[in-house]
Amino acid sequence: MSTEALADHVRNGGRLDAAGALELYLDAPTPLLGRLAGEIRRRKHPDGVVTYIIDRNVNYTNICVARCNFCAFYRPVGSAEGYVLGFDDIFRKIDETMALGGGQLLLQGGHNPDLPLEWYEDLFRSVKQRYPAFRLHALSPPEVVNLCRLSRLPVPEIIDRLVDAGLDSIPGGGAEILVDRVRKLLNCYSKATADEWLDVMRHAHRAGLRTTATMMYGTVETPEERLEHMFRLRELQDETGGFTAFIAWSYQPEHTELGGSEATGVEYLRTLATARLVLDNFDNLQASWVTQGGKVGQLSLAYGANDMGSVMIEENVVRAAGASYCMDEMEIVRNIENAGFTARRRNMHYEALGEPIFRGRQVPRTLELAVARGEDDATRPPEIGRYAARSAAEKKARQAGATE
Amino acid sequence: MEDDQRGVESVSALDGLAERVTAGATITEADARLMLASHDLIAIGVMGDAVRRRLHGARTTFVRVFEIHVNAPPAGRPLHVSAGEFRIIGRPASFEAAVKAVGAASAIASGVPVTGFSLIDLQGVASESGQRLDAVCSALRSAGLAAVAEVPVDLAGDAAADAVNAARSAGLAVTRLTVHALPDARAIEPAVRARDLQLATGGFRVFAPLPRTMSVTEPSSGYDDVKQVAMARLLAANIESIQVDWALYGPKLAQVALTTGADDVDNVAAQESGALGTRRSSLEEIRGNIRAAGLEPIERNAVFECGWNGAGGGAPAE
Ligand code: SF4
Repeated sequence: MSTEALADHVRNGGRLDAAGALELYLDAPTPLLGRLAGEIRRRKHPDGVVTYIIDRNVNYTNICVARCNFCAFYRPVGSAEGYVLGFDDIFRKIDETMALGGGQLLLQGGHNPDLPLEWYEDLFRSVKQRYPAFRLHALSPPEVVNLCRLSRLPVPEIIDRLVDAGLDSIPGGGAEILVDRVRKLLNCYSKATADEWLDVMRHAHRAGLRTTATMMYGTVETPEERLEHMFRLRELQDETGGFTAFIAWSYQPEHTELGGSEATGVEYLRTLATARLVLDNFDNLQASWVTQGGKVGQLSLAYGANDMGSVMIEENVVRAAGASYCMDEMEIVRNIENAGFTARRRNMHYEALGEPIFRGRQVPRTLELAVARGEDDATRPPEIGRYAARSAAEKKARQAGATE
Repeated sequence: MEDDQRGVESVSALDGLAERVTAGATITEADARLMLASHDLIAIGVMGDAVRRRLHGARTTFVRVFEIHVNAPPAGRPLHVSAGEFRIIGRPASFEAAVKAVGAASAIASGVPVTGFSLIDLQGVASESGQRLDAVCSALRSAGLAAVAEVPVDLAGDAAADAVNAARSAGLAVTRLTVHALPDARAIEPAVRARDLQLATGGFRVFAPLPRTMSVTEPSSGYDDVKQVAMARLLAANIESIQVDWALYGPKLAQVALTTGADDVDNVAAQESGALGTRRSSLEEIRGNIRAAGLEPIERNAVFECGWNGAGGGAPAE
């Protein structure tokens, strides 16, 4: 089909197949992709509302055995720069989040062998005990797979136990590109294969959880593989309907083992618009201002996005790889309205909650995102000793601590 | 409150304009205001791109600039510099300081054109030192200055045309129009002034419509920037190139601007940072970005010569 015929097909509500999607992705003029994506956004969100969430992006540990070569965030077991947040640290972050009008944490971290399933269960329970209405959007599929391996339990059981302890939804991180050739090259095949990632989401959806889906593009994958990723998500969404939103971000190369350069802004807008066309069964498409900056983040709204993501409050992973943008609620709302849309706060289910918080009361401006903890803070959380250490480094550290 | 209905772009309002633009008509100030009030970003970008392509096709020029602060000129040529322009930035404290900075820059520029100063600052230097502007410009020309770096249209008063002519009569090139600040993102005045100054004097090669300074707490938005670039392309049709600053606006926004009206990139880094071995050089980065936007990168120098051979061991241009 010609580009124009494909465009008409999309305009008439037709579904793209892999060949058609590839042709549009590679050959359609960028404005055409934007217009088509805009039409679909309007069809799905005729009210002109663009949403955002006030939540905090917390990374409970940076210690990770997976060692993905695109990751600038992790530290190996035993590293002097490794950390685990204490429960009290996390409570304090929740207090700060609530002060800004937030009701949820996005909680993700490395695959730390010294944090067993019970640590997560105890953490979730104690959060829910202190803050019953607070939501936990936590543990991406590879983290769930890691817990399965540590505790030798199947995925559905891990999910049940986590939900029982207080898990509310699962973030779509760790998807990278859902093609095993790519995952092997990125050294993230062993943390979770494409099938394993999808399987966690399938079980989560069956257990009644809603989840997001992400894509990190711009490393070693081909355009065909980016589309394969989208098609695999579309298939699972056809099956379960459990995905709330899709989020694409570009690989951030600084301080990573893989190195290289970042995909450009125009490539981002084309990828975003193509995702809107392919993922016709996803309601929401999030703009990634954290990797693209506020300006191209806002332009995303003309290329199919209907959600500005989160104010984040804190960010550690992307910052480690070189990008350090910041948008507080006022800035997000200003950008949404400046583009001609109506700004609404939402929850993790993408349900609109209402007007911006700062219109109702005074909220301090945030011009820089917080980090997991202070640079010279090397304290060990007190509760960690309640759980059996697995790594040799941790066992040694505890022995040293005991004899001091 | 915005004047458009929320989320419903004023497609119809821009339709007629788009037709006229495609047919090659120049736009009016009312059209320019209509563009800035609209939220139909894609239609606006398409119009900017149509005019840009009519003038330049896919050709996209860029210049690597080595900046020298007027108060701190380096004693020797720094390592790893490959530039098409040595540019003196900052306001000179006195006439003597300006001459000295030009001398120091020329000494290390190895034949690369030296530019410097805003025309407004030179007017200030002239009046403070009790000299005529053309005399100041002559002295700077003799010290090695090739061109005045910029004429900020929003700061230039009614006598701007006379000042431009005075600098040119002293042998300096005056080719670049800039905007110092844009307090209102919907202001069309800078583009109007750029167009009118060009009508009055001719000789300007580029107009950089995005402001050089902006608010930290309320920076301009991506929509604002794209609309200003496209509007400037359409309104200032008598100026050859619309320019965007790579360092100030960042590769992502600057690249988008190249697809919505701009065709020239200013201020690409001239000094490679040796420490970050894995990081691509600025030359690879700019070329990669231009190509990824479907455009053709061409390096130029300060006086718009393409295919220059980066003095001081720089890579040859394409
Ligand atoms: S991306 Fe996640 S799993 Fe991979 S090394 Fe980084 S922290 Fe570990």
